[in-house]
Amino acid sequence: MATSREISRTRRFGRRLAELFPVDWELVRHASAEPVPHHLKKWWFALGGTPLYLFMVQIATGILLTFYYVPSPEQAYQSVAEITHQVRFGWFLRSLHMWSANFMVIAVFLHMFRVFFTRAYRHPRQLNWMVGFGLLGTTLTFGFTGYSLIYEQMSFWGATVAANLAEAVPLVGGFAADLLRGGPEVGEQTLTRFFILHIGVLPTVGLLLVALHVYLIRTHGVTELHFEGEEVATEKRFFRFYPEHVSTEILIGLLLMYLLTLLALVFPAELGPPADPTVTPEHIKPEWYFYFNFRLLKLFSLQVSVLLTMFLGGIAFFWPFIDGWISRRTKHADTIVVIVGVFAVLGFLILTVWEALAP
Amino acid sequence: MTLRMKQTIVAGLSFLFLAALLLVAWQESKRHRIEEGLEPVVTAANEACVECHRKDGPALVMEWERSSHASYGVGCVDCHGAEEGEVDAWLHEGEWTAALVTPKDCARCHAREHDQFAKSHHAKAGEILASLDNVLAEKAAGMPGNIADAVNGCWQCHGSIVRFERGADGEILRTGKENKPVLAAETWPNSGMGRLNPDGSKGSCHACHSRHSFQAEIARSPENCGKCHMGPDHPQIEVYNESKHGIAFYANRDRMALDEKGDWVLGRDYSAAPTCATCHISSYMTTQGEVVPNNHDVGQRISWTLRPVISTKLNLVVYEDGYKEDYPGTRELPAVGDEVDTVEKIVEDEELVNRTVTRRVAKIVPWEERRAAMKGACLNCHNDAFVDNFYVQFDSLVELYNEKFARPAQAIMDELIADGILDPNAPFEKEVQWVFWELWHHEGRRARHGASMMGPDYTHWHGMYEVAKHFYQEFVPAVVEAAEETSPALGEKWARRMDELMARPEHVWHEGLSPEEAEALRRMYEDRYDQAVGSGRAEGTDGE
Repeated sequence: MATSREISRTRRFGRRLAELFPVDWELVRHASAEPVPHHLKKWWFALGGTPLYLFMVQIATGILLTFYYVPSPEQAYQSVAEITHQVRFGWFLRSLHMWSANFMVIAVFLHMFRVFFTRAYRHPRQLNWMVGFGLLGTTLTFGFTGYSLIYEQMSFWGATVAANLAEAVPLVGGFAADLLRGGPEVGEQTLTRFFILHIGVLPTVGLLLVALHVYLIRTHGVTELHFEGEEVATEKRFFRFYPEHVSTEILIGLLLMYLLTLLALVFPAELGPPADPTVTPEHIKPEWYFYFNFRLLKLFSLQVSVLLTMFLGGIAFFWPFIDGWISRRTKHADTIVVIVGVFAVLGFLILTVWEALAP
Repeated sequence: MTLRMKQTIVAGLSFLFLAALLLVAWQESKRHRIEEGLEPVVTAANEACVECHRKDGPALVMEWERSSHASYGVGCVDCHGAEEGEVDAWLHEGEWTAALVTPKDCARCHAREHDQFAKSHHAKAGEILASLDNVLAEKAAGMPGNIADAVNGCWQCHGSIVRFERGADGEILRTGKENKPVLAAETWPNSGMGRLNPDGSKGSCHACHSRHSFQAEIARSPENCGKCHMGPDHPQIEVYNESKHGIAFYANRDRMALDEKGDWVLGRDYSAAPTCATCHISSYMTTQGEVVPNNHDVGQRISWTLRPVISTKLNLVVYEDGYKEDYPGTRELPAVGDEVDTVEKIVEDEELVNRTVTRRVAKIVPWEERRAAMKGACLNCHNDAFVDNFYVQFDSLVELYNEKFARPAQAIMDELIADGILDPNAPFEKEVQWVFWELWHHEGRRARHGASMMGPDYTHWHGMYEVAKHFYQEFVPAVVEAAEETSPALGEKWARRMDELMARPEHVWHEGLSPEEAEALRRMYEDRYDQAVGSGRAEGTDGE
């Protein structure tokens, strides 16, 4: 039992601390007591927090990996090999980083499925969909640059193909490709640029977009959704962000950590042969989330596939406005959106599987 | 659309997404396994063979599955496939199949390796028919109608002349529903290094690259060479095992990168120790940081021949058509551009015959150049002075053996024939011939091989000690004995000759040491063991 003297000493210390670092507790209480609609208790509505959680894992493991990684063509592969084989728990950190990256892409996709099918992007949330789309782009670029940093044969040639794709983008393509590669071909400059992107530019852009995303969610509020035939008592229509929703997120976080650890242990990150710019591998494969694009590349010419990707990406980016346009013209907009969504997802999956099965 | 229906759609699509990802992961890991050579690629042409032989000979399919061949989709028909009309071909399950896979088959993909091997000593290992080794196996140890010692012994390393069983009409006998040609049992199975194949090719790649896994690891391991390079007459593996190189190898086997794919370069891929392959055929880094490629001509880096009675340095003559000949240091070298009659052994009608071919000399490789190639490997771990001094030590041992024992013994044997004491057509008639044979072929080689690969015990106790003991105790008395058997006059002549020989400075020690040397010896044994030594007595001092 603490004595009264000890208690008063603690209080005094607390007061002194509050003087040094004043906190508006009223604001904190207000922010944390944000009412959350009842439907968010369902797992598929809570997928937005997952990429954020994984992003934190990426930052933590990424910083530790950066301690050992050397971003030069001569030493990159060797340093990854050292991380994998020599650094204590290096293999585990690398495996966590790899699995977390894959999970992040999956979570972003799943989150987008939910938002799309519930049409949660509608007015006034169009801008937030676009911010979210920006986060998808950031996540994919993270994955691509990170994979390239390993500087193994497959990642090197993946980067080469990607640079060629960028080059085919009309007007800015050549400039963008040169900017990425630091020259006409993937070379010494490229790795440094990818490294700067991966550990500097993308985290900054990502954090800013996440902040904007969350800010917009908070200012717009979360729409209350009603499931048919589900009666929710008035007092249960909303629950508090803290502690109820936070504890749900913590549980999801623990489950993710458990899954990541399990996968890192059972399927640790591997290392292919080192990059050899003089030998083109028989089969080049990017990471799975670019299979869709890679298949298009094989189906059409470089220009056509790039234009097609840009066109489809453009439709997805501006979808909230297209939805509005459709809604103004028909009563069946809801069904049309669902059909478009199903076709889009199936198209993506079919092209991905097709590419996976191709030699 | 109701929210619940949308929930079902999202859940359904999510499951499809997950299923697609699992499929991608499965494909990815399969691709990875194929790339790493862990997954066999069974092409359409090989499917039927693999399927059937998985039951009939499953272990050989399993071995093939873990081979590099399998990972590249090189399968059964790629090696065993034959053309209709080939001497060993038969129609097996609708495919023309070869009874034997020979270096010619391997050369379809491994042309460079085949070309190098075909000109090597290894490829000529089967040409031992006119050798004393062969006489001993077929005549001394064999009997008319039974040369099992040669079949089970010599030929399993040197290689057989692979023959077919033939009928009275000379036609190849065939068996079974598919008319499979019957190979003569005494000539096959055989994986001898210099096997003489019916298609005219020489050798068996399987001798080093064991079928069907064809692991580079096996060819790089010293035990592989030890199958043949061992025993009383050429104990290379035993010498290696006792050398610092062998010790380092066995202690560090897991650091040798023996399973390295592609090139296996000393100084780049491994450093722990050299194996036989390292020094004789494999790649190594030069002091300029370049890679010296491997070479399947195993004798390329050898500068002495340690096999004959008297060792000589080995020069090499390369002809315009790529044919190579070792020229012992005693043989006069031709000049570049000269036309030379070369004699090569080929198989004609299943018999080994000599063929004389006139060739033009393209290049002379002096022994110094061959030695420099060997030194290049040494220099990965040792400095110039170390390597040069090693060769001084090694050369001096070979010269010691040559000058003190081999050359005088050979001269004596020649003169015994000239005196009619020995019959040149009866190489193992008298004791002196057996003693002389073992003196150079067994003990003398052991000493020389011991020195060449830094095996001190094989150099001395199994080598020069045995040479000396048998020279003094067996050879010299046997010479006099053989002469006496022929005639008293020759007996007297050779007793005198042997006395003169023993009076030479290098042999005079045999009569007794100087008083100072004898005293030093006595003191040493007394100091070390507290015992006297020298006259067969070993006296203790505990009260006697």
